[in-house]
Amino acid sequence: MFSKMAELLLDSNIRFWVFLPIIMITFLVGILRHYFSLIIASQKKVELLQVQDSQALVRSRLLRENGKFLPRQAFLMRRHFFNSEDMGYFKTQKRAAPTTNPMTDPNAMTDMLKGNVTNVLPMIIIGGWINWAFSGFVTTKVPFPLTLRFKPMLQRGVELVSLDASWVSSASWYFLNVFGLRSIYSLVLGENNAADQTKAMADQMSGAAMAMPQDPKAAFKAEWESLEIVQHQWALRNVEAELLGITSHSKTD
Amino acid sequence: MASKNKARVVEKNNGEVLAFSEGAIRNNAMVVEYCRTSMAALGGAAAGILGLTSLYGFVFYIFCAVAIWLLLLLKAGPHWQKYFTSRSSLLSSGLSGGLITYVLFWTFIYGMVHVY
Amino acid sequence: MSNSVAKYIFLFGILLLLHAAYSAAQHRSYLRLTEQEFTALPADIILQTIFSLLLTVYGVTMVAGDFKEIRSNIDLQKKTWMNLNNRPSFYIFNHRGHIFNPMLLTRTGTGKGALEAN
Repeated sequence: MFSKMAELLLDSNIRFWVFLPIIMITFLVGILRHYFSLIIASQKKVELLQVQDSQALVRSRLLRENGKFLPRQAFLMRRHFFNSEDMGYFKTQKRAAPTTNPMTDPNAMTDMLKGNVTNVLPMIIIGGWINWAFSGFVTTKVPFPLTLRFKPMLQRGVELVSLDASWVSSASWYFLNVFGLRSIYSLVLGENNAADQTKAMADQMSGAAMAMPQDPKAAFKAEWESLEIVQHQWALRNVEAELLGITSHSKTD
Repeated sequence: MASKNKARVVEKNNGEVLAFSEGAIRNNAMVVEYCRTSMAALGGAAAGILGLTSLYGFVFYIFCAVAIWLLLLLKAGPHWQKYFTSRSSLLSSGLSGGLITYVLFWTFIYGMVHVY
Repeated sequence: MSNSVAKYIFLFGILLLLHAAYSAAQHRSYLRLTEQEFTALPADIILQTIFSLLLTVYGVTMVAGDFKEIRSNIDLQKKTWMNLNNRPSFYIFNHRGHIFNPMLLTRTGTGKGALEAN
């Protein structure tokens, strides 16, 4: 059956006027999108207040973790700076709650718009254009047998019941390219490119969000609580005795 | 900048402590990824030219993965411990990643050469 | 091996691969025109494909860039003591120096110098 179907003869004009153009268009649109998003990308502005907040949080965390190396008075003094009821940093600094609605923040609005312009719009326009210009061609055959379940995935736009499942229509060939060319973009454009959107998403999650607390008020409250319950145990209380003990011990052997 | 200088500390079984530079590890991973993607694309093209079908193509992919592994070890030279933590994970980690690229190029070149 | 030689090896391999693809396509169309059954490619095309593939991939691995040693003391050996001594967590900007402001203006402040050394 499979060898019989392989005898299906395609017009070789399809090769140069449908099959090759689709892969070229997909690739070049990806490159263009990369440079276009580089042009319209806006530098993320960091506000002074945000940096101040995150630095205060970092200092408080360091105090919690390494405060045992400080004398008791020094520790209490530093904690007093953060946690004092009437003049502590975490108590006196009042930060407005972040705007929960992105519609009210014009910066977030433009960022969203830019993301849509570079990612979604080309996908729709180019996909629609390819569907319109190259519709209804059987372009190629995947070189491995597939079950009938793959037919709707690979033969979009060509509804032939008797056609073997491993033949690919032009519209589906476009989608295969969109997914398969991702790693080629990172090869050609270098890492962290805009054509590969999944990587940018991951960067956003790990990098920017960690450094800047989304809601400083809640972060301050949490940090205040955890700093409040720290029990100060001075780690260097017996340091002289231990040092002398170790030195005398090492001298004996 | 700060994250680049971070070190990952691994304690071995015999109590020896090894510190790895995070930036160097990432650099090596990027070089390996570059080679692997190129290999997937070129191997797919070669499989398409040879007209391999079904199972032979996937066997050829395994052959390509082993070939790029050997070439990377050749590039690293006799002291591969200086650059990688493990030799076998260098082979196994990239097997699934390049498969989509491989299949795309295999289909593409197979279509260009053998279908029409 | 120098980088440019590897680039030429890579280019040569790509050209060989393309030529092999063209030969294979020609062979297929010849078979179709003479109405013969396709069994296998001629041995020279197969050999050329595999040889050029290995050549190209060898070129790619040589072009791709050098490995860095992952042990961190190799990295740290190149740094000067001034670099390592620079600890951002211990910067103090809010110190008593501003009382001696006219004196500080005549010489460069140490805090600023440490910032720029980073």
